[in-house]
Amino acid sequence: MSLEPLNRYALGQKLTQLASADPLTFVQDGAGLDHSGARRVALTGAPGAGKSSLLAQLVGLRSQTGNRLGILAIDPSSPKNGGAILGDRIRMDDLEENDNIYIRSLGSRTAGDGLADNLYEMMNTMDEHHFDEVFVETVGVGQVGYGARELVDTVVLVVIPESGDMVQAMKSGISEMADIIVVNKADLPGARKMLNDINHIASVNPSCSDDNSWVTPVMLVSNKSPDYVAELSRNIDAHQAFIAGQQTGRARKVARARYRLQQVVDQQLAKLISQTSDEFFAAPLNRQVSTILAQLHDFQTIQTGDTS
Amino acid sequence: MNMNTSENVLKGTRILVGKPGLDGHDIGAKIIALALRNAGAEVIYTGLRRSPEQIARVAVDEGVNAIGLSILSGSHKELVPDVMERLRAAGLGGVAVFVGGTIPLEDQPYLKEVGVTDIFTADMPLADVVSSIARTLA
Ligand SMILES: Nc1nc2c(ncn2[C@@H]2O[C@H](COP(=O)(O)OP(=O)(O)OP(=O)(O)O)[C@@H](O)[C@H]2O)c(=O)[nH]1
Ligand SMILES: [Mg+2]
Repeated sequence: MSLEPLNRYALGQKLTQLASADPLTFVQDGAGLDHSGARRVALTGAPGAGKSSLLAQLVGLRSQTGNRLGILAIDPSSPKNGGAILGDRIRMDDLEENDNIYIRSLGSRTAGDGLADNLYEMMNTMDEHHFDEVFVETVGVGQVGYGARELVDTVVLVVIPESGDMVQAMKSGISEMADIIVVNKADLPGARKMLNDINHIASVNPSCSDDNSWVTPVMLVSNKSPDYVAELSRNIDAHQAFIAGQQTGRARKVARARYRLQQVVDQQLAKLISQTSDEFFAAPLNRQVSTILAQLHDFQTIQTGDTS
Repeated sequence: MNMNTSENVLKGTRILVGKPGLDGHDIGAKIIALALRNAGAEVIYTGLRRSPEQIARVAVDEGVNAIGLSILSGSHKELVPDVMERLRAAGLGGVAVFVGGTIPLEDQPYLKEVGVTDIFTADMPLADVVSSIARTLA
């Protein structure tokens, strides 16, 4: 439990600033790598699968411990004009009065992986505000994105009966990418069949034969019954305990920092490559590469004003 | 003001559209939300029947740049100053607040007096609403 009260104003302003910031202006150093941070859980799954409703129940339940809990709920930004309707929090009314719960809506902006621009820095900011747990609701995409996998500890995939996304699930190797699979809306027909189908698919996945690895639980959930959510909550605890035994907090943070570096460099390179003229491609490929890398270096020098 | 200018100004801005009080329907608020979204804004929509306290908390948590209150119930003279006071107390006194809905002409000066930036009536073209907000945030 945290001692100093949550500064909701400072956090709200900081996240707004981060949403529009250029990552190259970030001056945060590696000091945070040694600090312990919030436990991180992502809920992902197709549009309308019930992620927000489930998160409201789950966070309501987990808030009974008095922990400080944060929700970062991402909805899609229009690729055409950048606008977004951020509506996830409508499902979370019941949590709004609780002083230990903070809900933040985010547009995905230019992120194409179901997450939001600068989510890495936003999550670190949540750590600075001493959250015990942070929950991320991803944009409704059919597959578990690599970004969510890297940035959080526990990925919960939400599927619904008869959604026809089983083939999608097979393609993406769901049980490799998700730590917990929930078949939501279990009050609807077809839920148990869906559960059985997923269990069959999961049983042919190689990770199940390996004794040291986490066996992805597949379970039913419904907002019509609180018992299901209690079981999901226990599964999340079990997974958190499992990873704590696998990897130190520092190792996880370094892996995330490595992922973030890759992402920012990729973005810069994409920007430079998109600015090339047609003539640029008359040069041999190795020349193209060295020219772009030289521009990346110059670009960085200009950005930071470093003239050394 | 052309659409392009509104779009540039609103891109990346965060606007709360809230319905304080006991109104039973919110189609007007939803249409405004959509128009702002199409002009590039990130619109946080609170849903129906929120208290001034809840609206202020959402505004703080969401770090918004502007707030639109939609009120049809006739309680604007109580609800609006209440929201304004809570926003000031929460450190958001500088955030522009707009009010829309069924607001009689004679009540408008009072709302402006308590700090409302602009008031929109149901017969106002959407483009005018969007450009008024865009002008304020420019
Ligand atoms: N029958 C049934 N309906 C549910 C359940 N959970 C959620 N719903 C409904 O499913 C719809 C979508 O719920 P949300 O929680 O908004 O789903 P979401 O996955 O967050 O949606 P997006 O954020 O838009 O991708 C709503 O109409 C909910 O009322 C459930 O357990 N059973
Ligand atoms: Mg949602």
